[in-house]
Amino acid sequence: MNIITIDHVTKDYGCQRGIFNMSFQIKQGETLGFLGPNGSGKTTTIRHLMGFMKPDSGVVQIHGLDCFQDAAQIQKMVGYLPGEMSFIDDMTGIDFIQLIAKLKGMQDLSYAYELMQFLELDAKAPIKRMSKGMKQKIGLVIAFMQNPPILILDEPTSGLDPLMQLKFVELMKQFKQQGKTILMSSHIFEEIENICDRVVIIKAGQIVAIEDMEKLKHNRYKHYEIQFSSLQEANLFMKKYPDARQNECYVSLMLQGHIDDFIKDLSHYKVNDLNIRSQSLEEIFLQYYGE
Amino acid sequence: MSWILYQKELKSNYKILLLFLVVITMYSSIIIAMYDPDMNSSLEILAKSMPQIFAAFGMMNIATTLLDFITNYLYGFILIVFPFLLSVILCYRLIGKYVDHGSMAYLLATPLSRQQFMMTQLMVLLTALVIVVIYAFGFISIYAWLTVKEASIDMISFLSVNIGLLGIHCLLGSLCYLSCALFNEAKLSIGFGAGLGIVFILIQMLSDVSQQFEILNYLTPLTLFDPQSLSSGEYQAFVYVFILFVSALLLFGIGQFLFKKRDLPL
Repeated sequence: MNIITIDHVTKDYGCQRGIFNMSFQIKQGETLGFLGPNGSGKTTTIRHLMGFMKPDSGVVQIHGLDCFQDAAQIQKMVGYLPGEMSFIDDMTGIDFIQLIAKLKGMQDLSYAYELMQFLELDAKAPIKRMSKGMKQKIGLVIAFMQNPPILILDEPTSGLDPLMQLKFVELMKQFKQQGKTILMSSHIFEEIENICDRVVIIKAGQIVAIEDMEKLKHNRYKHYEIQFSSLQEANLFMKKYPDARQNECYVSLMLQGHIDDFIKDLSHYKVNDLNIRSQSLEEIFLQYYGE
Repeated sequence: MSWILYQKELKSNYKILLLFLVVITMYSSIIIAMYDPDMNSSLEILAKSMPQIFAAFGMMNIATTLLDFITNYLYGFILIVFPFLLSVILCYRLIGKYVDHGSMAYLLATPLSRQQFMMTQLMVLLTALVIVVIYAFGFISIYAWLTVKEASIDMISFLSVNIGLLGIHCLLGSLCYLSCALFNEAKLSIGFGAGLGIVFILIQMLSDVSQQFEILNYLTPLTLFDPQSLSSGEYQAFVYVFILFVSALLLFGIGQFLFKKRDLPL
């Protein structure tokens, strides 16, 4: 069953900004990654889901309810993390969390405290004194605390240090097990790689690709940079991999899958150094878009 | 309307309200202390020597009774300007700031609807305005009763003046409210409402100065609040006040309707 439906949605800000004829669905229990560079329309799409904006044309629905018309009703089921951290400045973190909890009609705050402990958040300070990371944690606690069946997260890991990012991934895996329906946006592929089942890639307000994560991972190229011990070795290797580029002892090549064969091949040569890099988001775009 | 938000806003804004009450206390007590039936004649001489300046601040006819004195010197300018400033500040803090800063996103990401939000903030604004008017009415009555032994205020007349005062502040407040409901950026959401109010006040000052500008009276709703006629119980003055309340109600409604329909930059 589709929980979130975006059907031929257009919102034109002029100057080719906005989103154009966008369509995708998210099924019950699915985690969808929403991937695109800055300014590509991720946040605009999410604002439509939250009912902050009305589309010029098209349908935006959650659970069959119109996101603009029935926003208040939809919010009962949704935990939302805004992309911009702007709280009510003159409150302390804990006061703000309590205010939103009351507005959400929550009686029991024990899960909120559990989350604060898990994220190592001390929310007693006034919000305006807080660092970016602390603010982001407050946003996360607010999004998760009523344990909603649907999560909409706009760049959830921004501002978090690597350790916290890992904790975030851990939380998301728990939520997935609980069968929550999740939409999370990002401009970094690695971030959603380990969490999402499916990815929607957008650019300039248009959908470039909708792919299963497995397939995307499989099709993804990797960059290998190898430093051979001698020119001779490098030359030998080049005979087997004519597509690679050689610069004296250094050889670089791109490969899609076949990692096992490659490593086994490589074991026959004397290698000084090996560098493996994943394809960047831009390169993935090129793969779908540029060619 | 949401009680939770209402309480939060009262808690966040009561200090500003108190500040305005202090200002009103100060001005009112000074003006009442100046009342002296004998001194009125010397004030009259002063007013005749510079009638334009007195007229600009709404002090047109030289007062004979204590009530005339008070409506003349307090309800012509001071009690218009200060509560209006309060409306400007409150509307920004209650609506404009949430939109401009984006913290509205958190409020609307709860089961609170836009309609409920706007209704709650309206109630906070009206609460503040009612408190200001009741306070002005109460403080002036009691202070005058305690300090001025020679004269007393006709309470029914004075009450009428204060109902009129509430009317004009509902209207000025509704303009600020509407402007915060319509615009995203602080400079517009404050600027439009405050600017309009200031223009209205300036027009009235100008039109009071000279007969020549009297036609300008039709350009400002402040004309609809006429403390002198209200205190003397003129029927027409009450009709004007009724018009003030009705237009304020209309503008509040329009503000809510447009806010509900529009895109928010959150």
